[in-house]
Amino acid sequence: MENNNQCCQIHGVENGHRIESRILEERIQKAVADGHRNLEVNAFGHHGIGGRLWSAGNEPVYVKVLGSSGQRTGSMGFPNTRIEVMGPTSDDIGWLNAGAEITVHGNATNGAANAMAQGKVYIDGNIGARGMTMTKHNPRFGAPELWVRGTVGDYFAEFMAGGIAVICGFEGQDPENVLGYRPCVGMVGGRIYFRGPHMGFSQADAKLAPISDADWEWLTSNLKLFLDRIGRAELFETFSKRDEWQMLLARTPAEKGGKTRRSMDGFRHDVWDAELGRGGLIGDLVDFDRSPVPVITSGFMRRFIPVWENHKYAAPCEASCPTGIPVQERWKLVREGRVEEALDLALAYTPFPATICGYLCPNLCMQGCSRGQVSMAPVDVTKLGKASIDAKLPELPPADGKRVAVIGAGPAGISVAWQLRQKGHDPVLYDMQGKLGGKISAAIPSSRIPVDVLQSELERIQKVIPRVNLQQKLSRDDIEQLKMDFDFIVIASGAQKPRMIPIPGKERLVTALDFLRASKLDAAKVGKRVVIIGAGNVGCDAASEAHRLGAEDITLIDIQEPASFGKERKEAEAAGAKFRWPVFTKAVTAEGVELKTGEVIPADTVILSIGDAPELDFVPESVVVERGFVRVDDFQRTSDPQIFAIGDAVKPGLLTDAIGAGRKAAQTIDDIATGKALQQRLRKVIDYSRVKLEYFDPRFVEFGSVAECGSQCSSCGSCRDCGVCSTICPRGAISKRETNGSFELVVDEDKCIGCGFCAGACPCGIWTLIENEPIG
Amino acid sequence: MSSNGAITPSSLSVKDLLWQVHWSKDRCTLCGRCAAVCPVHAIELGVHRLRSVQTPLGLVNSPSNSYQVYYGIRQKTDPAYGCIGCGMCNLVCPNDAIMPFKGDETDKLKFHINRGGQPRKRGGRRNVPEGVLDRIKFMRISMLTDPALDAGRHEFELRTLLGRVLPPEENLRLVREQGWIPPVREIYPLIIGSMSFGALSPNMWEGLQMGVAYLNEELGMPVCMATGEGGCPPRLLRSRFLKYTILQIASGYFGWDEIIHALPEMKEDPAAIEIKYGQGAKPGDGGLLMWYKVNKLIAAIRGVPPGVSLPSPPTHQTKYSIEEAVAKMIQSMYMAWGFRVPVYPKISGTSTALAVLNNLTRNPYAAGLAIDGEDGGTGAAFNISMNHMGHPIASNIRDCYLNLVKLGKQNEIPIFAGGGVGKNGNLAANAAALIMLGASGVQVGKYMMQAAAGCLGSESDRCNVCNIGLCPKGITSQDPRLYRRLDPEKVAERVVDVFLSFDTELKKIVAPLGRSTSLPIGMSDALGIDDYNAAERLQIKYVV
Repeated sequence: MENNNQCCQIHGVENGHRIESRILEERIQKAVADGHRNLEVNAFGHHGIGGRLWSAGNEPVYVKVLGSSGQRTGSMGFPNTRIEVMGPTSDDIGWLNAGAEITVHGNATNGAANAMAQGKVYIDGNIGARGMTMTKHNPRFGAPELWVRGTVGDYFAEFMAGGIAVICGFEGQDPENVLGYRPCVGMVGGRIYFRGPHMGFSQADAKLAPISDADWEWLTSNLKLFLDRIGRAELFETFSKRDEWQMLLARTPAEKGGKTRRSMDGFRHDVWDAELGRGGLIGDLVDFDRSPVPVITSGFMRRFIPVWENHKYAAPCEASCPTGIPVQERWKLVREGRVEEALDLALAYTPFPATICGYLCPNLCMQGCSRGQVSMAPVDVTKLGKASIDAKLPELPPADGKRVAVIGAGPAGISVAWQLRQKGHDPVLYDMQGKLGGKISAAIPSSRIPVDVLQSELERIQKVIPRVNLQQKLSRDDIEQLKMDFDFIVIASGAQKPRMIPIPGKERLVTALDFLRASKLDAAKVGKRVVIIGAGNVGCDAASEAHRLGAEDITLIDIQEPASFGKERKEAEAAGAKFRWPVFTKAVTAEGVELKTGEVIPADTVILSIGDAPELDFVPESVVVERGFVRVDDFQRTSDPQIFAIGDAVKPGLLTDAIGAGRKAAQTIDDIATGKALQQRLRKVIDYSRVKLEYFDPRFVEFGSVAECGSQCSSCGSCRDCGVCSTICPRGAISKRETNGSFELVVDEDKCIGCGFCAGACPCGIWTLIENEPIG
Repeated sequence: MSSNGAITPSSLSVKDLLWQVHWSKDRCTLCGRCAAVCPVHAIELGVHRLRSVQTPLGLVNSPSNSYQVYYGIRQKTDPAYGCIGCGMCNLVCPNDAIMPFKGDETDKLKFHINRGGQPRKRGGRRNVPEGVLDRIKFMRISMLTDPALDAGRHEFELRTLLGRVLPPEENLRLVREQGWIPPVREIYPLIIGSMSFGALSPNMWEGLQMGVAYLNEELGMPVCMATGEGGCPPRLLRSRFLKYTILQIASGYFGWDEIIHALPEMKEDPAAIEIKYGQGAKPGDGGLLMWYKVNKLIAAIRGVPPGVSLPSPPTHQTKYSIEEAVAKMIQSMYMAWGFRVPVYPKISGTSTALAVLNNLTRNPYAAGLAIDGEDGGTGAAFNISMNHMGHPIASNIRDCYLNLVKLGKQNEIPIFAGGGVGKNGNLAANAAALIMLGASGVQVGKYMMQAAAGCLGSESDRCNVCNIGLCPKGITSQDPRLYRRLDPEKVAERVVDVFLSFDTELKKIVAPLGRSTSLPIGMSDALGIDDYNAAERLQIKYVV
């Protein structure tokens, strides 16, 4: 076409007025559409000159820009387009360039080549801020290029994602820093060749790399083209010194990941400890290791340690028994097949294992039994008690210790003498009655204690305590004599004086004590109708006896709800006795008992059973008596250091209380005799919660044999060597160590983690978990 | 052993407890780890009896019973052993067989946790998940109206000033006359708030300090940490790291004679001195470090013999009035370092904060005011103090700032906000909200414990046993068996992580606001909230 080579001139000013960028654009597009391929635009700050000239197809289009080009010259330029700006240019030269070659004969302001994807931008000058930002390299096309003869402004190559920038640094705006302030932030692709000094770049995003031969060859050959385009070929020589050039590459994602900071370990060692000293912040104040430990620790670092507290605590049965018999130890012997030893063991604690434990005792041990806490039947100790009739006496030491006079040969007196003799002392019993055994022999109905059982035990007692003086009513003078003759005296005279009530007709009353004593000798008589005033256990005994002796209508009356319980109460009820309360007696008449209400309960015999009081006229003045009882301390000592007191003379109680007091007094006397300090020998009772009864059959209510009883005892506080702990231990840390006949369970602390499973599982409550010794 | 149904008023069942331990028999291997790790012995091995009745079909034979014993993990119901929900059992369980769950109704334990007439005490937090800070939005987003900044590519100077900033003419006059100009520190606006050596374990404390030193020396972030009351390890006092430390003095004055003795040997001045008058978690109440926690180490640092209880009274004994007490404390503390170190008081959030602030504005030595709001945490406090005493931080800070504006002194005396900042994990958002309400910076404690050391507390009464020395993560315990679980180096690394990520998040907030070189302190036109009353109260925009 003819007009191809002809220059088409387009003016931005028409009739003295600047035309709008839209009009100029329309005229440029029209010229190209009309076949013009050589355009000369006289610009007057117009926008986007030379871009989008696709209508020329593959035919090259040349656009020369005279005047002042506006923003975004050559934006969205096509590969067919070559633009030459004959002076400096405004912002965003080559913006979103898609292939055009743009040459600027002067400086370019901000945003040069921003978002350029293809093509080339040649600047014969400097560029402003944010040049070569957000540029890309689409693999379908060649990489975009920006060539700058001088230097670049701030924030150069931000977010540069591809392409090549070449900064020649020649006669630039800032000769000290050809790359401007903070270049390459967020750069992810492309490369930058530059010549001259720089003041840093984003190390996180870019890195300096050596220029290879291939790079150098590319640079020099393209440099010629650049210099040719800007018409500065003479600079080639100046720019050809390879060692003046440097190259920046975007870091790869992998390289960015490996941001190098000093490791904390290194900091601690090289900075922290170096400044503070060995051991860091408090290395001067502590001498122990503070290095990390795992959450689960063993050995010294355990927070808690298990302790095998065998025999540390008393079983509830033992602790409930005033006599203090370790019942659980007896059941243990039974389980081990050592039944005889289980029977014999009782004799160390009581002279009446059969009479009392087997028959007369309300068995506080059973009331205390752990099993009762969860409605399980307590282990039946009466079976063991009854069998103890066959218990064999231990060998007695020679009686060369202290001489002790015991006043009263009832259960308390016998108990203290029994214990003293077993400890090698020489007790002598005195009693005003004709028989050993006190009220057991004299007043308790034979229905409750078979005569042969009692007899048999009394015979065994006599073997231990041969020196018994019966039918000896002692006076105060006699006691003074005894004080001279003996080392110690124990008052065990019981309560022998029935209490009376001051009512009309009291002379008609029979006291329970007299009645029971007579009844025991079969010398008592009762009418058909019997009223018993006082419905306690003694009253119940009287009722049973009255029934045995022929009474038909028996009434027990009380001013309050009767305190009677257990076997006594049951037998009285079985005898048909009626209980009435609260009733208040006004008088006793020939007709019977007259109440304050006026009612008369007809009676042929009226028995008074409101308790007995001690008879203490023989007690010397040195012994303090309070409210009718001898005053003692916790060691059964009276105010006279030579005299002790036990049993009902001190405080009304059960038979087992009397036996226990006897034991305690004997211990005190022995301690004094052997020069030991007095001490309470009671162990603390084990907490019920430590005992695990889930191991036992809750439906087990009837104990058939002694062996069965033994099997159901949880052995509270005493290891039953069941193997549960060593089995449950998650670390296998528990083992058994045998030492001459006995054993202990030991923990390997290097294995144990202090979980407390042993304590949780132990049926006997032996194991406990305690805090480990504090550190620091 | 369960009793026979005999109960006391305080007999509770598992159902009554706040935290209920669920245990799976199928998955448990009875390894003992859960029971070994439980800080409060809430669980134990239980022996269980299982009954089965065999009744033949058609009753062809007699029915029979059989029993079997099995073992399992059982939760105790005694209030003294109540599960605290820490979940350490789950952490150590190899089979995920055990987990505490929260009960579905009001915690009955609450009604019984005052045995012997002693009301509940605990550590931790207020346990109120809600808060106004989380609801504040930043809605003045500059895209075209201001220079649009990019948090990633722009350089930011997120620094704040701690110290009394004089008006320019005053400053110039003093320069001219060579007068005394109050010291001012340029510090990072996120401060690790006062947690004492003693409240925190040695490993935790060292980890925090190490992290702070790293931030300063390796990353150039001028982060400061306040000591809390309880002294400062002698080595730190004599190290250059002291310059990153704000030393606190409080009513117990523990460790201060050691600090005084260290004065001649100090290489650096501390960053500042904080005078504690109150604590947000327990306003108006003091503290008592029980004798059994005062081991040799704590004793040495606090300058007391081991094994004595250490009371921090609710008030300073020599405090008679704001004017007199604050002034003389500030004077004394300035004097110790030759008037080179900024000194400021810290009070608990209170409706009387303005009175304190007004007083400080008239005192040219006052370097700032720190206010600790009701959501602040503590090592130990009465439940009642933690839950019901105190003032929310947002309006307290706002009132103070607006008052300064009224006085024309908003750029002169910085206010620092603390108490529940980031309590739901939104640290940067909460901090930015407070800054734009008028704070010059924020102090955080609990957030650091959670983020840097894995504190298990949350706003749901979980764990909260900081007061009894049994912290299962070793953060607040003085028992090496517990605190050695915590590696100071790992804590320091997390401190660095927290500050770096906070820094990015804070930039993400301030950049769209067009701020890069100064904090948007008091820039409340950027704030909005979808609660009309809150908006009115805070004088920010109501937006829906």
